[in-house]
Amino acid sequence: MAEKRSLGKEFSKGLLIENPVLRLVLGTCPTLATSTSMVNALGMGISVLIVLVCSNTVISLLRKVIPSKVRIPAYIVVIASFVTMVQMLVKAFVPTLNEALGVFLPLIVVNCIILGRAEAFAGKNSVIASAVDGVGMGIGFTMALLCMSTIRELFGNGTLLDGASTSILALFGVTKFNGVDVFAHLPIEPALIFILAPGGFFTFGLLMAFANKIAESKGKSKAELRGCASCPMAASCSLLLSGEKEDVLSKNPRAAVPAINSEEVAK
Amino acid sequence: MKYYLAIILTAILTENFVLSKFLGICPFLGVSKKLNTAAGMSLAVIFVMAMATAVTYPINKYLLEKNGLEYLQTIVFILVIAALVQLVEIILKKYIPSLYSALGIYLPLITTNCAVLGVVLLNVEKRAADPAFGFGASMFNSIGAGCGFMLAMVMFAGVRSKLESNDIPKFLQGLPITLIAASLVSVSFLGFGGIVDNIFG
Amino acid sequence: MNPILLAVIIVSAIGLIAGLGLAIASKVMAVPVDEKAEKIRECLPGANCGACGFSGCDGYAEALSKGETTNTALCNPGGKDAAKAIAEITGLAAGEVIPKTAVVLCQGNKHNAEDKLIYSGIKSCAMASQVFGGPKACIYGCVGFGDCVKACPFDAISLCDGIARINPAKCHSCGVCINTCPKGIIKMLPVTEVKAAVLCNNHEKGAVTRKQCKAGCIGCMKCVKTCEVGAVSINNFCAEVDYEKCIGCGQCHEACPVKSIDILDMTHFMEYRSE
Repeated sequence: MAEKRSLGKEFSKGLLIENPVLRLVLGTCPTLATSTSMVNALGMGISVLIVLVCSNTVISLLRKVIPSKVRIPAYIVVIASFVTMVQMLVKAFVPTLNEALGVFLPLIVVNCIILGRAEAFAGKNSVIASAVDGVGMGIGFTMALLCMSTIRELFGNGTLLDGASTSILALFGVTKFNGVDVFAHLPIEPALIFILAPGGFFTFGLLMAFANKIAESKGKSKAELRGCASCPMAASCSLLLSGEKEDVLSKNPRAAVPAINSEEVAK
Repeated sequence: MKYYLAIILTAILTENFVLSKFLGICPFLGVSKKLNTAAGMSLAVIFVMAMATAVTYPINKYLLEKNGLEYLQTIVFILVIAALVQLVEIILKKYIPSLYSALGIYLPLITTNCAVLGVVLLNVEKRAADPAFGFGASMFNSIGAGCGFMLAMVMFAGVRSKLESNDIPKFLQGLPITLIAASLVSVSFLGFGGIVDNIFG
Repeated sequence: MNPILLAVIIVSAIGLIAGLGLAIASKVMAVPVDEKAEKIRECLPGANCGACGFSGCDGYAEALSKGETTNTALCNPGGKDAAKAIAEITGLAAGEVIPKTAVVLCQGNKHNAEDKLIYSGIKSCAMASQVFGGPKACIYGCVGFGDCVKACPFDAISLCDGIARINPAKCHSCGVCINTCPKGIIKMLPVTEVKAAVLCNNHEKGAVTRKQCKAGCIGCMKCVKTCEVGAVSINNFCAEVDYEKCIGCGQCHEACPVKSIDILDMTHFMEYRSE
């Protein structure tokens, strides 16, 4: 990344444009496995956020010391140390989370988001930028996890934020609130399958489709020729000549000509 | 024998790594486009899983647990796995180049594959719950998990080749529809729940 | 012993053993790597399209370093820059890469072409063309299910009203689409020159062609007669252009009653070609 970007941009890109889960498709395993309930997702997201910021900072500090040949093992050791620390903290302060996440807590080590950011960003950028990048990516990950877990918990268990008082939220003073049982007053049963494995894949697929749709409607900023302007035969195209052009445009918006107009091509 | 058979079948069917435990999803989505790459990747995973278990089991039992240093498991295991994968790569390159050219490109991917570290950590977890879960059981569990990974990969490669020739709405193209297909495949694995207990119970 | 010290010792010892083992292994079992081939490989774009005629970018790099080929200009996607870079490494003369683009030579869109059957099988050109040569009445033209769209590694092809159209600004002239098209109607044309092209491949007699497609070449010979340089000929009821002779004057297009011959000016796409 040669061009300098402002810190604000480094931060915000992780939230939506380069959201690690929905756009870069990194760290799918923990996303699917820990989004069964909102409190689990929140706990996982915060754990990853902490590890990501710490490892990004340290790797960025060490980037000139580590020879590029052994950088991956070196990164892994740094990440593994922070993961072990977070694991011990979680065990001590939020034992319920440790039980719920199980093997996925130590597996943060091999989470592609962390190694991916270390390799793609922290190994090449300054300390502050790397830390900010870590915060942005971590929050993006947490947000995507929360989105998924909200859907899955609501439809699969009929609740929202179930078990909040014994979760990581208890550390922030939430001790009385213990979730909302949304489906309790409704005459429908929650669909358990949303909490099980298939529901995870399904919800993730739909969310990703949604993210694609948003990204598509926003459009890429890169100027490129599209539609009839990109067609070398537009000049003699029977649709353009017969006046059916508008018809085509309304049916197929991709045939619209954003970059240069078709008369120019026609010449 | 019955005990080991039950372990293998559980690891392949009821506790399938990819489809019910969500481990190794990245290669599952990335490398399952073609049947031969899917099979190659899974073979490499089975091999590394078995090797990793064989090496980490004694380290864990005689070095870490004896000295009460269980908290070092994560860092030691990942170190050992990374070194092991690299070593396997070097050995294959030198002595079995044909196998290297078939599996070589997948080996670096496996270091950061959560399925390998996952199976090692799960073995430790299972041993903590059941002291009878010894070296043999750990090995069978790892190989079973690898075979389960292979089953899921190969099966899904077939599903994906059918997906290719279908008319899919634009925004669902690519990963979204693949994930939804994976969801349907994993529904079929839900059906295996309890089957092993009933056979061997 | 102090547990903290023990932990540090164990982790460092394991790290040291692993590191030493790897270092020794890589020394003892070192396999000589062809450095030249690796350098060449880095200059190639890595699309593994096979346009060079070798098995992917690795194959081409290896062939160059071993001297199996001396042509540095075989990589179309890499273009001029790749040829220059390879020439620098190998010491061979840099070959001239003429920028080209693939063009679908068919105008049989839904407006022009008649259908002969309703096809509801698998949406694939290769499959559909097995059934009586495809759903369109003309068995020579674009089937329109987009096998080439899926095959294109650079996302340069789209379907427009039932026929494939290739964006010259995105085309890297790798030729994958040419090999994919079951009808063989995609041709590689130079982008830098303005030449006439026959946008039809229908070899039926004129009367039959007329019933099949409004824009099909009926072999009326008008283009042959008007061409001042004798670049156009009719072969088996379909016009052909000799690109060596063609001067791009456009008289054949004026004369053509069905407008199946056209001057393709794609020069302005060059500035949109990104590296």
